[in-house]
Amino acid sequence: MNSGEDNAMTGQIAKALTEATGLLRGPQRVVPLIGKLVFDKLRIGFEQRHLYSYATTKRASGDVLNSLLRWILDAQRPDGGIAAYYSLLTGYSESYPEVTGYIIPTLYDFARAPGDDRVVAAAERATGWLLSLQMPTGAFSGGLQGSEAQPSVFNTGQILQGLVRAHMETNRAEILEAAVAAGNWLVKMQQENGSWLGPGAYQAVAHTYYSMVAWALAELSEVVADHHHGHNDNDNGVDYGLAAEKNLDWVLSHFRPSGWVDGINLRGHPDYLHFIAYVLQGVLECAILRRRSDAVEAVAKSAWALLRKFETNKYLPGAYEPDFKGGQRFTCVTGNAQMSCVWLRLFEVTDDLRYLNAGLKMNEMLKQLIPTGGPRGVAGGVSGSYPVWGCYQPLRYISWGCKFFADALLLEQRLTQSFEASTTEALPCAS
Amino acid sequence: MRIVVLGSSVYSETACAMAVRMAESGHVPVGALALRTLDRGTLLRKLGQWGVRGVARYARAKLIPHRSDGQPPVRNLYLEPELKHSGGVFRSLREVAAAYGFPILVCNDQNAPDSIAGLREWSPDLIIFTGGNILRKQLLEIPRLGVLNVHLGLLPEIRGMSSPEWSLLKHVPVGVTIHYMDAEIDTGPILQRYEFPDAARCESLSDLRNRLIAFGIEKVADVVSGLDRRTISATHQPDLDKDNQFFVMHEWLQARAAERLAKRRVATVPETVNG
Repeated sequence: MNSGEDNAMTGQIAKALTEATGLLRGPQRVVPLIGKLVFDKLRIGFEQRHLYSYATTKRASGDVLNSLLRWILDAQRPDGGIAAYYSLLTGYSESYPEVTGYIIPTLYDFARAPGDDRVVAAAERATGWLLSLQMPTGAFSGGLQGSEAQPSVFNTGQILQGLVRAHMETNRAEILEAAVAAGNWLVKMQQENGSWLGPGAYQAVAHTYYSMVAWALAELSEVVADHHHGHNDNDNGVDYGLAAEKNLDWVLSHFRPSGWVDGINLRGHPDYLHFIAYVLQGVLECAILRRRSDAVEAVAKSAWALLRKFETNKYLPGAYEPDFKGGQRFTCVTGNAQMSCVWLRLFEVTDDLRYLNAGLKMNEMLKQLIPTGGPRGVAGGVSGSYPVWGCYQPLRYISWGCKFFADALLLEQRLTQSFEASTTEALPCAS
Repeated sequence: MRIVVLGSSVYSETACAMAVRMAESGHVPVGALALRTLDRGTLLRKLGQWGVRGVARYARAKLIPHRSDGQPPVRNLYLEPELKHSGGVFRSLREVAAAYGFPILVCNDQNAPDSIAGLREWSPDLIIFTGGNILRKQLLEIPRLGVLNVHLGLLPEIRGMSSPEWSLLKHVPVGVTIHYMDAEIDTGPILQRYEFPDAARCESLSDLRNRLIAFGIEKVADVVSGLDRRTISATHQPDLDKDNQFFVMHEWLQARAAERLAKRRVATVPETVNG
């Protein structure tokens, strides 16, 4: 073991000890913690999965969506940022700029569906807080609020998604200016081959899941094109669409024939499904915006490999070895929700009903895992792992899990409604 | 022709009806191999398929054998012609085996060494699969001709599960395919494909499924005769590189498939003129 790994392990032990002492500061959390551990243990004992069945629940998607949104609104801190997580040991974390950014589109999508003023207000407060955090370079820092001052490519990209959407909803010029500044910094930091590495990148190496940044740049390109009558470069001649496609091409060069994607590159961590799904979501959404059918096909191949595994095993493991081998026994709930989003979007793009089928079944499985009761921070939340002690974000309910599952349920609502509408239109005239 | 019938349970109506049909068409099975009914896996599979109430209803029907007219109930009414006999209704493969004089083996796993040994002893020309485990290579290689399966969809278009429902949603004709099994799912050589002419008369998806099972059994008899007379041969499936596999359908999509079925019924019912 080298000294770097030693330091990582020491850091993890220190983190675990700090978390554990959280119970001393908040003894009221002991009962929910024990309750959750016992509940998951019992659930695993009684769970039976086989080829001919899938998980079902009587909970309506709309009810679960409302409870997810309640969880997110409860997690909004007084500063306007959204907490990263609620820990069963330590309670709510500090605000997390990255998640606060990319939760904004979810809030606006939710507000669009049933029309809820509280949600719009929450999105606006979140946007205001983010604007106050932007560095003069246009970048945003990584980590939780106050934890580090280092600019981060990934977090800036994720926040850019929120800024672009906030501008589209409000048409406020200062939000677009902030988005353009963030986009300019990202393009400036991009390598010639389309990747991002160096001090702005996590662990200073290039990662394929930064396709999420490419997606944000592709979105910015659309907004800028609207403002510049079709030209998708800004006043300084920065072409965000081109930058997005440069990264897209770099990521596509990491797709294997099996559908596996190399280059997630997280030292000290397994390849969690969350990051695999990030790669696929980023590439797919960027491909849709840039009309790149080659990239859609690449994602479809990977998504299909995971779909077959899900259909056979009824859940997706939390982490994989290369070529989707050796899935671990716990489930990364967020990664499953992200895959539901990928499948549902692929249905939208390809019309292949098997993706819709898998998305619907995944949502059923996930709905079962959302607590209907419990204290604030638990009720309606998405745990990092199932069982809750699994390797990914153990003993925590995480805000980005709520975001992705809410996205999946919103997509389900939209697609099932449009499917029904198209079926009705196809009916012969009754008169 | 030496035929063996494989069933998902000794109480499987499909396996019973298949064995009767074979026997009545001059091919009395040389044996039958069925999964143990109270095996944990089978019980859980049935719980998944039918739910607790469905399993309770099924168990009651099998264990308390008389209905009001004195006859034991049949779950799939379209199989009644095969299952009815002078003394009542065949309730299990054991009863069919006793009536037609062939041996029956009951196992926990059709691929287990005991099952394989038993099958080898019967040295079958053909095994007819009506349900059970995913079959392994060792078993698939036993019969001289192969292991035959009735798939409730047209191959190669619709492979896998919920085939009638997927056929409706994908606008593929509803039908059955009789094919040899191989190590993959529904990819083996095709013997015959039959479109089902009565889909528009079906009242529900379960009605469609039940009719298709009966239709498939009827057609297997034709195929076995053809194989016996050597007038039928298998052809390899085209488009094997295309992934046409379908999986268990979510209930929301099932409801859409049921709507399509109902639409067909409406479209084919002739208008009645009042007065």
